[in-house]
Amino acid sequence: MKQIFLISAFLLAGFAVSAQDIYSCRNATLSFFSSAPLEDIDAKTTQGVSALNIKTKAVYFKVQINTFQFKKKLMQEHFNENYLESDKYPHAEFKGKITDNIDLTKDGAYPVTVEGTLNIHGVPKTYREKGTVTVSNGKVTAASKFNVRVADHKIKIPSLVVKNIAEVVEVSVNAVYEPVK
Amino acid sequence: MLYLRIMTVALLTAPAAMAQDDLSAMFGKDSVRRDGVTSTFKSTRIINGQSNETLAKGDLDFRVAHRFGDIGGSDGGSKTFFGMDNSTDIRIAFEYGITDRLTAGISRSKGSGSLSQLYEVLGKLKVLQQTHDNRIPVGVTLFGNAVVTGMKSAAEEEEPSYFGNFSHRMTYTGQAIITRKFGNALSLAVLPTYIHRNRVAFMDVNDMFALGIGGRLRFSNRVALVVDYFLPFREQASKDYFAERGVKFYNPLGVGVEIDTGGHIFHLNFTNSTAILENQFIPETTSTWRNGQFRWGFNISRRFSLAK
Repeated sequence: MKQIFLISAFLLAGFAVSAQDIYSCRNATLSFFSSAPLEDIDAKTTQGVSALNIKTKAVYFKVQINTFQFKKKLMQEHFNENYLESDKYPHAEFKGKITDNIDLTKDGAYPVTVEGTLNIHGVPKTYREKGTVTVSNGKVTAASKFNVRVADHKIKIPSLVVKNIAEVVEVSVNAVYEPVK
Repeated sequence: MLYLRIMTVALLTAPAAMAQDDLSAMFGKDSVRRDGVTSTFKSTRIINGQSNETLAKGDLDFRVAHRFGDIGGSDGGSKTFFGMDNSTDIRIAFEYGITDRLTAGISRSKGSGSLSQLYEVLGKLKVLQQTHDNRIPVGVTLFGNAVVTGMKSAAEEEEPSYFGNFSHRMTYTGQAIITRKFGNALSLAVLPTYIHRNRVAFMDVNDMFALGIGGRLRFSNRVALVVDYFLPFREQASKDYFAERGVKFYNPLGVGVEIDTGGHIFHLNFTNSTAILENQFIPETTSTWRNGQFRWGFNISRRFSLAK
């Protein structure tokens, strides 16, 4: 009986602590840009979701592919239909961790290194990228910019349009987090 | 005993600790998508018939369509290089997306049937878009056109191309395009259609209803099979009258391959109908798939984004 009580206490304590440590964002901005001989491509969404655990320093991002908005709608159609196949692979997802030895419970601006798995187009790949995390008055913001090689995620570009689409795309992410109540 | 207790605690807290690191659970499982189904068809045409698709706002679609002569039979074979020497109809069009749901266009076609030298004004309105959660199970688009012929009036008053006044030169199409995309590969369309021609031959019909069906089956991201078929409802008396004079009407059927090259969309197709506009291929198809009276043709669509 005492044992059960103890276990319950542990479990409850565990959840109680975790809720305070987790920060979430439901309007993360993700954008990407690429420059090819014939065409620049840029697209943006503000409908990404993200969460950050300031104790364990776990990081999570998820975005619905078809929320990316392009200036040229034809490009957006091709992006969804031909390249990212967003009907088959509706989301891109990142699960990772901040590897630096820093204390995110204290205010400050921290340059960080994030390591984890990014899944785009159903193909996971490990990334190790730089970013920044700013903590002030219970508000946390995070930003990062990194390159994705489209071939790493088995996104095929036919040779006919190779001059229109770059092989490496620069991805930017920005999130402003609120504590999860 | 103490050891066991520690083990139990460790085992029970371990998943809790993992749950803390697996933040994905916070955003739930992928909920049912509420957004609209896109790319039911790749192009605004299936082959002969319209698809539910309209152009995106600011997109200009430059379209060229061609139908050649009979592949076989008395007008085909090697002497016309299987119809390549004869083109029965040619259409050049500019269509523009005023909004994502409203497209307007103009075209010129050669025309095949009783009238030629055709100028067309068309409008297309996407009324309903199918949604992933099936709140709206089908897409509905309305299409209408008005076509005027620029040809010289025939001298004989019996001819359908005798124009006593300007309105005799006009024909019209009104159509609803009802579509559903099944999964990722198959899209089907039903097209109730109304054709009005102000002037027709004796015993021909001014008003005609027709029912079209069409489909697209995707083989890959870029290649699909496309088919469309129209069933025109012509009065029996009219059919009999023309049959006595050796003219038989057939239902237009088109079968083709659709190829998306990334900027162009090509349809390479075979049809028994010779005309390209609804106003003609629905009421005036007198060639049949038998006797080699089918032809190859193509539709080319090149879209330009004018939006800044």
